[in-house]
Amino acid sequence: MKILSVSTATNHLSVALNEDQQVIVEKNERDERNHSEHLDPLIEEILKENKLTLNDIDRFAVAIGPGSYTGLRIGITTVKMFASILNKEVVGISTLQALAKGVKEPALVITGLDARNDNYFAAGYISGDIPKNVIPDGHYKIDVLIKAIQEYAAQNKVDKIVFVGSGLEKQDEKIKALNIPYEYGTDEQNVIHAGLIGQLAIDAQPVDPDKLLPRYLRRTQAEVDWHKKTGKPFEPDSHYVEEV
Amino acid sequence: MSEKKDIRILAYESSCDETSTAVIRNGREIESLIVATQIKSHQRFGGVVPEVASRHHIEVVSQITKEALNEANCGWKDIDAIAVTYGPGLVGALLIGVSAAKAASMATGIPLIGVDHIMGHIMAAQLKDEIEYPALALQVSGGHTEIVLLKDPVHFEIIGDTRDDAAGEAYDKIGRVLGVNYPAGKTIDAWAHEGKDTFNFPRAMMEDDDYDFSFSGLKSAFINTCHHADQIHEKLNKYDLAASFQAAVIDVLANKTIRAIKQYKPKTFIMGGGVAANHGLRDRMSAEIAKLPKADQPKVILPDIKLCGDNAAMIGAAAYNLYNDNQFADLTLNADPSLELPYAKSMLN
Repeated sequence: MKILSVSTATNHLSVALNEDQQVIVEKNERDERNHSEHLDPLIEEILKENKLTLNDIDRFAVAIGPGSYTGLRIGITTVKMFASILNKEVVGISTLQALAKGVKEPALVITGLDARNDNYFAAGYISGDIPKNVIPDGHYKIDVLIKAIQEYAAQNKVDKIVFVGSGLEKQDEKIKALNIPYEYGTDEQNVIHAGLIGQLAIDAQPVDPDKLLPRYLRRTQAEVDWHKKTGKPFEPDSHYVEEV
Repeated sequence: MSEKKDIRILAYESSCDETSTAVIRNGREIESLIVATQIKSHQRFGGVVPEVASRHHIEVVSQITKEALNEANCGWKDIDAIAVTYGPGLVGALLIGVSAAKAASMATGIPLIGVDHIMGHIMAAQLKDEIEYPALALQVSGGHTEIVLLKDPVHFEIIGDTRDDAAGEAYDKIGRVLGVNYPAGKTIDAWAHEGKDTFNFPRAMMEDDDYDFSFSGLKSAFINTCHHADQIHEKLNKYDLAASFQAAVIDVLANKTIRAIKQYKPKTFIMGGGVAANHGLRDRMSAEIAKLPKADQPKVILPDIKLCGDNAAMIGAAAYNLYNDNQFADLTLNADPSLELPYAKSMLN
């Protein structure tokens, strides 16, 4: 099975071509601000070098979130259109699970993306070929995340924690206070690798391309404020869009 | 003589709060038009919230692609080009259309065309009637108020624009003062027809000999009038307020546009943009042009009301002209939120 996978979830752009479990090629562009300009040419480059067309791909995979809202939408829109037009399978993979997969040794992996002001899009996974989720993907204040780690460690044996992602070193004091051996991810581990997304995609359940949407894990501030002000419930998003 | 092949364009528009797709034949015929509007969502907030808009766009974009093709009874093999608005507009919103169109182009091998949203608004007229060049367009919307000279189907030049608020923006802002939810234009237009111009609001820059506009002074005068009345517990007639506001906007727009028509002598006069749906403005422009000597009267094309707001049909119409001019985009096409038509030399000083 040929899998083409994409991550535009952070400012690190990654595209990979996998054949079953094997990563044939992965290309990365670091600290790059224009995913819209770079993504399609990078996909085309990979296909050309491997003498393939999009039609030869069996399954598309994408980092589904959390991450930069605009970034996520670029990658997801792109693969959703590929799959929809070419009648191919498409799967969305948790950005945080993909980060956790970069850690090979046995550990509790806390993956987090800096969401500013001591907030993180974060989760806890047990490392492995398919990292097992133990603290759900969510938007956490650092203190809430630390508490979730403590609670997990109180009930499970944790020999070591690896903190992977962005902005977690800032919290070193709080992390040290957990009193569990820990380390931070390497530069390679701290970025999202499309090759790993491709490997996770093999066991994932394909979804209807029309229903493939970012997992933002956060409502917009405007919606939160509106809800507070009016007390009105959130309706499903589809209720707010009408064909005229 | 063999018949010329039909050119079909699948177009995308997602620059603000409407996600739209369309199939347009030969730049003139609408074979399908799908518009998914988010108005109901943004009315919760009293205006368009960019992040909410982007979230809604991605929810529908692949679905309405299929709908546009199905409704036009065609498949990808019948499509000659894929067109998309790449600016101006909200960057996150534009990126959904741009990403979708590029992905579709890559997946099908069909060439890609990037379209300026304003060029699109003006080309809504082409879906109604044949434009003879040179033409002159009054482009009025929530984000723009411009007089544009069309030398040919692809070379447009701005000869006048607003120095501050766009006309449509002023409508929404005074609408808020009157308790009218966004988009306020339609309600204010209807109220204006019930009232009289009794407040004599300022007509800014009307007598200046350029083609520029300013609406912030009018907006302030309107708001001050309402606040003052509030303070002395006087109730103002909302119909007269609407009529007075609208008269001031239309006087300036009509006055400057007619002067531009006299100077540039276009063969066609076009209106475009959301405010081109305003009945007061449509009637006034038609009446003013009818007053010109017969020989100086351009043909008038007012787009269908439903094509004045954002839609992909107008993008498909504009894209057809770019197609004929061989103006194609490649896969590096990006959203350009502050894209602008070129300014005429007379404006560059």
